[in-house]
Amino acid sequence: MPTPHKVYYPFISPFDPCKPIVAKTYSTPPHLYMQMQPPNLAQFTPHEALRAGTLWKVLYDPYFGPYEKLRKEDSSHD
Amino acid sequence: MTKQVPPEYYQLLEELQAVDFVLVELTLYLDTHPNDQDAIQQFNYFAKESKRIRKVFEKQFGPLLQFGHSYSAYPWNWADSPWPWQV
Repeated sequence: MPTPHKVYYPFISPFDPCKPIVAKTYSTPPHLYMQMQPPNLAQFTPHEALRAGTLWKVLYDPYFGPYEKLRKEDSSHD
Repeated sequence: MTKQVPPEYYQLLEELQAVDFVLVELTLYLDTHPNDQDAIQQFNYFAKESKRIRKVFEKQFGPLLQFGHSYSAYPWNWADSPWPWQV
């Protein structure tokens, strides 16, 4: 199932003076999982599409930083 | 007195913006799917819609484009404010 983010866990050296960053996330937008776009995909209305940034619901990928998890729930179409 | 524009100026512009965005998306889609009949019909529908909105807007608020892409009002007023970045 295409996920908007993926996580990887870098090696943490015992001699690292700084506070280690345990988990690092990177964005994986939906188009990575879609080779050739199939015809007749579900679409937004023009006004929604203008706000969402794409015409096709499947390709909608709002980027929220790791610290913006809260914003993700309350406004899926902002 | 600074010139004010009525609210429907913004409504029409947003309508035009939404329709033109759909046209951009469909153009990009049709570049890779030239045989998609439904998408072409939708593209033509929105192209017509875009022309209609531009006509309505230009009748009220003056030309949107220049060099003959828009009719002109009397007097020659394409340089009047508001400019796009002032809106």
